[in-house]
Amino acid sequence: MNTIWIIARKESSQMLCSQKGMIWLLTFSGLLSAFSLLLVSNTELSLLDNAQVVYMMAGTVMAVGALLAAILGSDAYAGEKERGTLVPLLCAPIAPDALLVGKILGLLIAWGVMFVASVPYLWGVGASGQNLGAALFYLALFGTPVVLGFGYLAMALSARTGSVLASLLSTVTLLMLAASPLVIGPGLRGTAIGRTMDAINPFAGALNTFDSVIIDSEPFSAQMARLLLVIVWLGLCLIAARRNATRPDFQ
Amino acid sequence: MKTRKYLLSAIVSGLLSTVVSASAQAPVSLDLQPDGKNPASPVMGDHLQFWSSITNTGTSPIEGLVAWISLVEIDPGNEQPVDLEDWSAQKAVTGASLKPGETLRTDWYMRLIKGGDYRVVVSVTDRGGRQVYTSPTVQFHVRQKAVLQAGRVLSVAAAIPLLIMGLMVFYKTKQRRRRE
Repeated sequence: MNTIWIIARKESSQMLCSQKGMIWLLTFSGLLSAFSLLLVSNTELSLLDNAQVVYMMAGTVMAVGALLAAILGSDAYAGEKERGTLVPLLCAPIAPDALLVGKILGLLIAWGVMFVASVPYLWGVGASGQNLGAALFYLALFGTPVVLGFGYLAMALSARTGSVLASLLSTVTLLMLAASPLVIGPGLRGTAIGRTMDAINPFAGALNTFDSVIIDSEPFSAQMARLLLVIVWLGLCLIAARRNATRPDFQ
Repeated sequence: MKTRKYLLSAIVSGLLSTVVSASAQAPVSLDLQPDGKNPASPVMGDHLQFWSSITNTGTSPIEGLVAWISLVEIDPGNEQPVDLEDWSAQKAVTGASLKPGETLRTDWYMRLIKGGDYRVVVSVTDRGGRQVYTSPTVQFHVRQKAVLQAGRVLSVAAAIPLLIMGLMVFYKTKQRRRRE
């Protein structure tokens, strides 16, 4: 447990207490600020009701969280290899599972900081509307498995390929495909292919839950199938990461 | 002279009645009704559903039928057609064909984006004809609801990046002092 905690602290402090981590956080807050300013300055967008805006912002926060997971996950094994620190790490008395858990805990802490940074923005756009508390709860409940899933997937590819670039490109491409419901309209998503994509895409599942609870005020019981979808996604990515992390490409 | 006047007025009235009867025998009959489950006093963000019935009352089939919904704002001083971009993703029924006597029943969804008084109407045309037929209008009022409060959003949008920049400066100064 101590080893896991040491790795997690090292990973999270590299991200959060360093200049690069602060720049990332500043970029993230700049993105949300720009989005908020667009919402109040654009005539049509400023007429959207609070629930709609909170839904859009929750989706954006989850997408940026998943992007962070893709970057950190890609760096987890291949980055160590490229810096020449993977072999000493593998020779140290650390179980592969402990290394994986430590790295994902570091990612979880970074996602937690991003979540906290997004709370004022969600409050800013949604305080006078409906379901702000539900939005925060479901962003944590559904956003966390989706983000960690992308982190695990990137770690699996990172360990498998031994290349940050290959892992990052593959994971970001998959993330763009998964996050496409953020930009395509409900008309396209209503087609047979769109509905099938929605049924198997964890990102779309989480977005549909945000829509369901924030805009339509539907209860938790209506979200069970989608919760199962994101848990299955997390489980599959965890299995892939465990399989590959036991035999990382270090040559 | 009087006889010619009577004759002329008889011809004009005859022509007028022909035109009126031609328009009365339009080959399409349209009806538009709000759904019974629509909220009685809708507020911004609510969804409304409307049902249109398009019946071919002519004797020949209608091919390539196009039906679309339009929305008009009728607030005094602000009368204008509304772009349905945010209001409805379902803007038209295209390519349908209707045999004589057949009816096409379509539902139209609409999300209420802005408060005010509105009228909705469904229009129909077909591939061959040059006429556009319109349904009776349905009028509704959308109650205003609190939307984004610019002051609060602006303060958050400015404060959070400034706070992070302040943290960056704080860490940098702390590191410099440690080195010294």
